Amino acid sequence: MQGVVGAFHEIDTTCAAIEDLKKKKIGDVTVYSPTIRHELEHAIDAPVSVVRRFTLIGGLLGVSFGYWIAIWSSEYWPLVTGGKAIASWIPYTIIGFEVMVLVGALSTVAGMFINSRIPRLTATTGYDVRFSGGYFGIFVACDAVKAPQAEALLIQHGAVEVRREA
Amino acid sequence: MASVTHPVREGIRGPNIASADVQLPAVKDYEQVDREIIATLGFTKKWFMGLMVAVLGMLIGMSAWIYQIYWGLGQAGYEPPVMWGNYIITFVFWVGIGHAGTLISAILYLFRAGFRTSIYRAAEAMTVFAVMTAGLFPIIHIGRPWKFFWLLPYPNWRLLFPNFKSPLVWDVFAISTYLTISTTFLYIGLIPDIAVLRDKETNPARKRILAILSLGWRNSDREWRHFAKAYLFLAAFSTPLVLSVHSVVSFDFAMSLVPGWHASIFPPYFVAGAIFSGFAMVWTITIPMRKWFRLEHYITLNHLDATAKVVLFTSLVVGCAYMIEFFIAWYSGVRPEQEFFWNRVFGQWWWAAWIMLLCNMALPMSLWSQKLRRNPTWLFVLSIFINLGMWFERFVIVVPSLSHEFEPWQWGSYLPSWIDMSFLIGSFGWFFMWFLLFVKQLPVMAIAELKEIVAPRRKHAGGGHH
Repeated sequence: MQGVVGAFHEIDTTCAAIEDLKKKKIGDVTVYSPTIRHELEHAIDAPVSVVRRFTLIGGLLGVSFGYWIAIWSSEYWPLVTGGKAIASWIPYTIIGFEVMVLVGALSTVAGMFINSRIPRLTATTGYDVRFSGGYFGIFVACDAVKAPQAEALLIQHGAVEVRREA
Repeated sequence: MASVTHPVREGIRGPNIASADVQLPAVKDYEQVDREIIATLGFTKKWFMGLMVAVLGMLIGMSAWIYQIYWGLGQAGYEPPVMWGNYIITFVFWVGIGHAGTLISAILYLFRAGFRTSIYRAAEAMTVFAVMTAGLFPIIHIGRPWKFFWLLPYPNWRLLFPNFKSPLVWDVFAISTYLTISTTFLYIGLIPDIAVLRDKETNPARKRILAILSLGWRNSDREWRHFAKAYLFLAAFSTPLVLSVHSVVSFDFAMSLVPGWHASIFPPYFVAGAIFSGFAMVWTITIPMRKWFRLEHYITLNHLDATAKVVLFTSLVVGCAYMIEFFIAWYSGVRPEQEFFWNRVFGQWWWAAWIMLLCNMALPMSLWSQKLRRNPTWLFVLSIFINLGMWFERFVIVVPSLSHEFEPWQWGSYLPSWIDMSFLIGSFGWFFMWFLLFVKQLPVMAIAELKEIVAPRRKHAGGGHH
């Protein structure tokens, strides 16, 4: 992917650059930061994560499976005790709950992996090892025609280093 | 009357990672966090000696296990009617220890308790290793460990499924779910930190391993957005899970009719006890760690003070539960219950009950003193007493109850054998071996979350954290 990457040392200049880039619509913006910063989230203003759907679906599947395995196996190999139900809802709620948590949580993780596009074992265009340390980074995906404009904007906002990525 | 003006927070979302009201004044910037936390990964002679002691302890336990497998379960100190002994006591003890980690990482996260940030990674690792340790004991207790898979529900040639109405099967589900989710939670939180290690690493082989373990994490806004949401939901799932696991463990006892066990107070009593003992073990681990790794400015006295308040509160809950058990036995008018509880404190096992009461009820009352809450040496000493007291609490629950049931002709005794004691030593060796290996391979504090507390550089002063 072609584009321009800028490294910033200060968060306020990073936020200003993001807002300006979005306003001028030079290209798709990817922001790198060593940690979650709400100033950055605010500037990026991305849609709400869809991970919650994975959580809901996983949780529902889990609770259904938990109850099902307990009820089905009790019916298939009944342990008959006089006056007692073969399949009993109250103790099976424990199984239902535990399997709901198990499948729901694992689905959440799967949702995070799918949406974040990880595992990714190839190099990422625009990434710099400083972005996990003390620097913030902005990668603007754009062609060679718009690259000078992106470079100028990043420098204007105080990027300590700007370079083109092929 | 003066009017109260609330600050305007329009359009600003709440924090994703709990960091409110926490200050680390001695930590100036992100680079310092990286430098100081990564510095803890260097090998030292003290660490190596600690590891050797832990491995020795584990080998003692392993030798005992081999001996027991060869000679049979009769080598343990079981004597009818006490057919649950050290293995179940130590199992409940380690499951309890395992409660603090997920409580700190999940429940305190949802409550935005800022003091969790510096201690939660160590506590999470402690949880995983404690549950791994606990999980060994039912397998050891089976006597034929290779038959363990019979507890799992799968179609099989025996034409049998486990009895889903049995608390022991609930336990299998609860503990294995807890281990899986705790491990997942630990690993998910570690991903951004492993990426930091990967980017700083110069050794190509190690860099490659870290690249695989970090799953190619790049700190992009997309990754952080989904990470924050997933972390929130994992915390939301883990919170009731923490409460359910020790409730289910308590059902192992409470679902029976044995005096001293058949009590509806058991689930909250067990959960409070688990949190109490888990926090004590967090002190046992983090207080030496902060000193040896020179992390006093990350785990400050304010952090210790906050955890001490949790310990004080849970001690009060546990103490209240002890007293209620005695009260209900007296008030019920049921003779075997009354006899049992009298026997608990004045009978054959009086010393175990008094150790429990001293360590879990009396000594933690010292934490009403702010001076002692902020004294790491006292907290460390107290943590050892609490660990001891909580092991004896489980001893008091298991042994006197089984040895002193309804019929006097059934009454018996129990003395742990050298095999039992070797397993106890082995469990500590196994636990500390994993923990010591962990602290030298992966960051013992959450680098990315610590950075969230530290103020980032700004060009223009005054643009505070929203």
